Amino acid sequence: MDHFEGINFSEMWCGIESAPGYLKPVVKVATGGTTGSSLAICGYYNVASGIYKNILVIGWEKLNEGGATTGIITAFDPVWERPSLAGALGPLALMAGMYSAKYGITPEQAAKVTVKNRSNAANNPFAHLQMPNITIDYVMSSQMISYPLRLHDVCPQSEGACAIIYANEEETKKITDNPAWVKSVATSHYYTFGTDDKMYDLPTATMASKKVYKKAGIKDPIRDLDVAEIYEPTSWSELAWTEALGFAEPGQGGKLLDEGITQMSGELPVNPSGGVLSTNPIGATALVRVAEAAIQVMGRGEKRQIPDVETALAMGFGGSLWTELLILGKEKLR
Amino acid sequence: MSRKKGQEKIFEIKWKTDLPYRYSIGKLAVKFFEELKKNKKIYGSKCPKCGKVNFPPRAVCADCFVEMTLSDMVELPPKGTLEGFTVVNYPFVDPQTGGMRPFPYGYALLKLDGADTYTMHFVNETDYTKLKVGQRVEAVFKEEREGNMGDIPYFKVIKEEE
Repeated sequence: MDHFEGINFSEMWCGIESAPGYLKPVVKVATGGTTGSSLAICGYYNVASGIYKNILVIGWEKLNEGGATTGIITAFDPVWERPSLAGALGPLALMAGMYSAKYGITPEQAAKVTVKNRSNAANNPFAHLQMPNITIDYVMSSQMISYPLRLHDVCPQSEGACAIIYANEEETKKITDNPAWVKSVATSHYYTFGTDDKMYDLPTATMASKKVYKKAGIKDPIRDLDVAEIYEPTSWSELAWTEALGFAEPGQGGKLLDEGITQMSGELPVNPSGGVLSTNPIGATALVRVAEAAIQVMGRGEKRQIPDVETALAMGFGGSLWTELLILGKEKLR
Repeated sequence: MSRKKGQEKIFEIKWKTDLPYRYSIGKLAVKFFEELKKNKKIYGSKCPKCGKVNFPPRAVCADCFVEMTLSDMVELPPKGTLEGFTVVNYPFVDPQTGGMRPFPYGYALLKLDGADTYTMHFVNETDYTKLKVGQRVEAVFKEEREGNMGDIPYFKVIKEEE
């Protein structure tokens, strides 16, 4: 994203001239953390509307050049917010502390999220952090970088890219006999100042999930979804936002994890890819959620594959505390 | 940009540049900064329909979509309560200055007494074990004020008689 790398035309890094974009219409979409899910939703609209038959959607990030924290601060209110704002992690730390104080969620429960997701990442050759032997003690003894967030409670900065082909029904037949179909998409906003939202109850995730479940005919997400790739910039976010998405009652995200429901073998595995806690090339991160959801639906997840996935949820979360969701399925929406 | 172990030394060009631009803060914020500068007072805005008191002051109620004017501004006490807190303990470039933001620093989501919305600001405590949700705090004002948020450099932790 130009905003984070501090330059214009960052798409040139993707080699648009040599990539299939040469002499074709190119549209650039950048919405912060949600960039990947915005790309995914725009890709869907472009093909589902009938304007294009086949398109390639690419998300990428090259964080070694530039600074995401600095870039994020510039996106916030210059008078009221920029002076004290510390990028994304400061507010995510506030959120974790408030969530913990309100519901008694413990640092150990948060550490379990990191252990789950990074253990999953060890089954994913595309994941950035490969830490197959990670333990709760290791996470809980890592450096405190913004109380209560320790180094391993937060996502890394990654470099990477992700691409998805969207095609209409006729074109899809030429490509594969085993596609993932987009069943529903939703975007929700709710924000004037960053301080309007305490984030642990992320209202936009609740609003977007109600819309996306209704359109896809999902009544009980734990029962009706087979896998979820959610956007968890911190371990605490996964606990809180599984609640916001309706997987558990408010304050029960820790219990959901403790009961094993979100583990690989659980009723609704969350982030078999390793999630954002293992890989975070920001402009690609939310697109990776969608790609991983599609991989699960198509049964191409190899060591990270959940058996018999019919329906998958993918989530994007962005700096203005908005949420984007997509539901993908094996069957077309009738 | 940091150099990782094993990487060869890279050629770097460093520079700082000014990027001045105009930002319209609106009539209500102008009044807020005038009162802050001249009288050491803090003003919020109260929705004439639902009565919600906003600090920072805003011109339109986020719930009712009703416009608030200068006559809807209300004085708020300089004391408040921490809703959330952290101690930022990592390095980054501050786009406000172009240099590194000094750290560690106390950073909080707080609510002024009488306000219904939250604000983020600095707190003068860098030991997180000494902070808690519900902690009382008070605004510290600079003696020489300029009419910007720097006039309240931080909120200080206070103890109050029950």
